[in-house]
Amino acid sequence: MIRRVVLAGCAALTAWTCQRDARDKRTEHDTTLRLPLINDPILNPVIAPDIGSVMINKVIFPGLVRPDERLQPTPDLALSWSASPDGLAYTFALRPGVTWHDGMPFTARDVKFTFDQILDINSGSRLRSDFAPIAAVEVVDSLTVRFRLRAPFAPFLSLLGYNAGIIPAHVLEGRRLTDAIDFNRAHPVGTGPFKVTSSTAGSAIVLERNPAYYGDAPKLERIVFKIVPDVNVQVAQLRAGELDVILVEPANLASIERDPRVTLREVPVVQHFYVGFNQRQPLFASQLVRQALGYAVNRSAIIEGVLRGRGDAPVGTIPVALGRYFADTVKPLAFSRDSARVLLERAGWRRGNDGRLRNAAGEVFRFVLFVDKGNPTREQAALAVQHDLQTLGMDVTLRMLEFAALVRDHLLTGKFDATLIWWTTPPDPDQWAFYASGQDNNHVAYRNPRADSLLTLGRATSDPVRREAIYHAFQVLEREDPPVLVLFYPRELLAMRATVRGLPRLGLRDALRHSERFYREPLAPRD
Amino acid sequence: MARYLARRVLHALTTLFLVCTATFAIIHAAPGGPAVLADPKLTLAERQAIEERLGIDRPLAEQYTRWLGRVARGDLGNSFLYQVPNSAAISERLPSTLLLAGSALALALVIGVVVGAYCAARPGSAIDHVVTIVASGAMAIPVFWLAMLLILVFAVTLGVLPAGGNATIGAAPSLGDRLAHLVLPAIVLSAALTAELLRYARSSTRAALLSPSIRVARSKGATPARVLWHHALRNALIPVVTVLGLQLPRLVGGAAITETVFSWPGMGRLGVEAALSRDYPLVLAITLVISATVALATLVVDMVYMWLDPRIRLH
Repeated sequence: MIRRVVLAGCAALTAWTCQRDARDKRTEHDTTLRLPLINDPILNPVIAPDIGSVMINKVIFPGLVRPDERLQPTPDLALSWSASPDGLAYTFALRPGVTWHDGMPFTARDVKFTFDQILDINSGSRLRSDFAPIAAVEVVDSLTVRFRLRAPFAPFLSLLGYNAGIIPAHVLEGRRLTDAIDFNRAHPVGTGPFKVTSSTAGSAIVLERNPAYYGDAPKLERIVFKIVPDVNVQVAQLRAGELDVILVEPANLASIERDPRVTLREVPVVQHFYVGFNQRQPLFASQLVRQALGYAVNRSAIIEGVLRGRGDAPVGTIPVALGRYFADTVKPLAFSRDSARVLLERAGWRRGNDGRLRNAAGEVFRFVLFVDKGNPTREQAALAVQHDLQTLGMDVTLRMLEFAALVRDHLLTGKFDATLIWWTTPPDPDQWAFYASGQDNNHVAYRNPRADSLLTLGRATSDPVRREAIYHAFQVLEREDPPVLVLFYPRELLAMRATVRGLPRLGLRDALRHSERFYREPLAPRD
Repeated sequence: MARYLARRVLHALTTLFLVCTATFAIIHAAPGGPAVLADPKLTLAERQAIEERLGIDRPLAEQYTRWLGRVARGDLGNSFLYQVPNSAAISERLPSTLLLAGSALALALVIGVVVGAYCAARPGSAIDHVVTIVASGAMAIPVFWLAMLLILVFAVTLGVLPAGGNATIGAAPSLGDRLAHLVLPAIVLSAALTAELLRYARSSTRAALLSPSIRVARSKGATPARVLWHHALRNALIPVVTVLGLQLPRLVGGAAITETVFSWPGMGRLGVEAALSRDYPLVLAITLVISATVALATLVVDMVYMWLDPRIRLH
C-alpha cells in the first residue's frame, strides 16, 4: 500500500515538473518584467514614504520632466519651458492630448493641484522641503502652468524630474491624500506607460501597458512588482527566474557572478556615504581633528574589501555621478597615519604611554560610533573605521542599532558623537540643506561661513559653467574644513536576467522613469 | 459545561487585555519610533505635522485609553505604514497564514504521529535510529537556514518548485500552482513541530504498548497492527495533544520567519514589518488577533482532551 502511494506520488511529481518546465519557458519568453519591493507600497508620489513606493510611482506617475542618461532634465509631461531672466518664474507648456489612466484629460489644473498638495504641510507630503522655494503655481491656460519662486533656485528642474510625479486633481481633490486608501493601495490613476490592474496585499502589484500612453509605445506587456522582503531571497528568486531586475549588495556578488543567466551592471549613483562627526561636541568642533580623521581612515581598503571594488574614492561630498560638478581636479584624499598624527598633535592630542590618545587635561579621545544594524556593507565599513581610528589610540565604541532608532533618537535629536550614514540626493549638486549652517538636515551641525555663501550661491546660479566653479571651490574648501568624513561613492549594483534589455544607463530609480523602453530579448536556447 | 465555557472565555479576555497592555508598553519602550518619521530629510515642522496627524504627540496614557476605547467598539485603528484600516490589513493576510499554519500542522500531525508510533513498535531498529537522528536535526536546524537551503536546492538548482510567493503572479489560479508554492514553506514551518510530536508520539506509544490493557488485547488475539494503531495509539495521543497545544503559539510566531523567507503574504510577516517600522496600531491589532487565535486554540485543545479521555473531569 505504502509503496503504491509513493510510486503514484513520484509519477505525479514528475508529470508536474515537466509541465512546470514548459510553463517556465513561456513566462521567460513573454513580455513581463518582474521587480521586487520589500513591502506594500503607497501608490501616490506626493506622500510615498519609502524607497519601494518611490520606485513603483516613477512608472505610474510621470513628472513634468525626466532625467536623460546624463541626468539632464528632458521633456516629459511638459514639452518645453522657459525661465524668466530673474530666475523667479518658470513657465511650462504641457503636452497636449495626454489622458489619465481613467481616460480623463490631463491639464494644468492637475499640475497646480499636485504642487499645492506638495507644499501643504498637512497633506502628508514627503516632497515639501524639496520644493520649499515655490511661492505659487498658476494655471495660465489649460496647457500652460507657471511656477513663481521666492528666490532663484537652480535645482528646480532636476527636482521636477526626480520624485515629483503628477497626481490627478479630478480624483483626489477635496480629500486628504493619506485618506485616499483605494487610490493609494489598489487603484492609482497616473499618466505613465503602465497602469495598475491588480494589487494583492503582501504579494504583488501588476501593471499592464497603457495603450493610450503619450510617448513611444511601451515594449513590455506587463511589469510586476513582487513583494519580496529579504534581499537574499531576492537573489535566489532572480537566479530561479522569478525576478528579473534587483538591486544587490556587494556581499551578494559571489552568488551572482557565477550564474550565466544573470548579468550585473554598475552605475554610479548620486549618494555619498560618510561618517558624520557631531560638531556640537568640543571633540569634533576642531577643524584640525576633522582633517586628521580624514587622513586616518583607509578608504581604498574599504572600497576594495567591503565594496569589492564597486565604489569610487571620494574628494568631498559631491559624488562622481554628478559629472561636471564633481571636482576631478582635486586628488582623492590620501590615507596617511603620519599626517593624521601630526594634525592631532597640533590639535593637542598625543599618544600616552598606555597607547591612548589624550589631551593636555589627560582626557582620552573617546566616542561612540553609530551604524544601522543589518546591512553588511555599512556594518563592515563601520568596523574598518573603528579599527583605523583605534590604531591611532582613539577609544571608539561601535554601536549598531536599527535605522529608525538611529535616525529618530540620535540623528534628528543631535544626541550622537559619530554616525556612519549616507545621503541619497537628487541629481543636482545643491547641498545647502545638508551642510549650510542651521539647516534642519545639517545633522552634524557643520558651520562655515564660506561654505554657507558658496552653497547659497550655487543654489541660486543656473549657469552651469559658473555653478561648476562654485561647487569645485566648495570641494576644495571641504578639504580644509571637512563637514563630514566621506568614505566612498557607491555604485548601484543592478543584477538582472541576461535577457533584459532597454534599461538606460542610470540608477534604477531614474531608469524607471523610462519604463516604456524596457524589453526582453528572446531566450538563447540554453538559458 | 456552559459555566465552564463562560469561565474559560473570561480567562481568555483577561489574558488578551494583559497581552495587549504589555505589548503597548514594550513597543513604546523600544528604541526608535515609527519608521514614517525616520526619514533623515524631514524637517522639524514636517515631523511635527506627521506626529499630530498620527496622534502620537499625545501622552502615552491618553493614546492607550483611546486605543482601548476604539477596540471596545470593534475598531482596530489604522496602520501608520500602510495607511489602511488594520482590520483590512489583517484580513487580507489572515487566510494565507491560516493555510500555511494549517498545512504545517496537518503535516506535523500525520508524519509525527504515524512515524512515531511506527518507531515505537520497533524500538532500537535501524529505522528507529535514523528517524531519531533526523528528528534531532530537524529540531536543531534554524528555520531561516533550512528555508534558504530548500530554496537553493529546489528552486535555484533543480528549478522544480517556486522560490516564493503563494501563487504565480499573473497566471490563472490553479490548485497545482497553489500546492507547488505551499510545499516548501509548509515543510519548513512544520519541521521542528513534526520532530517534536514524533518524539512524544514515539515515547508515549512505547509506554502505552507496555501497559496491561495492551497485554489483554494481545492475549485476546488482536493483530500487532490493530494493537498498535487502534489500542495503543489512542492512549498515546493525550501527551501529543498537550504538546500540540503548547506549540501552537510557536507555529503562529514561527510563521513570521518562514513567511519572510518565502515571501508568503501572511500575517506573521506583516507583524514583523509592523514591529520593525514601529507601526504601533498594527502591532497591537496583530497581537490581539494572534492572542485571540491562540486562546481559542487552547480551548479547543482542552475540549479534545475531554473527548480523548473521559476521565478528565470538568473542574
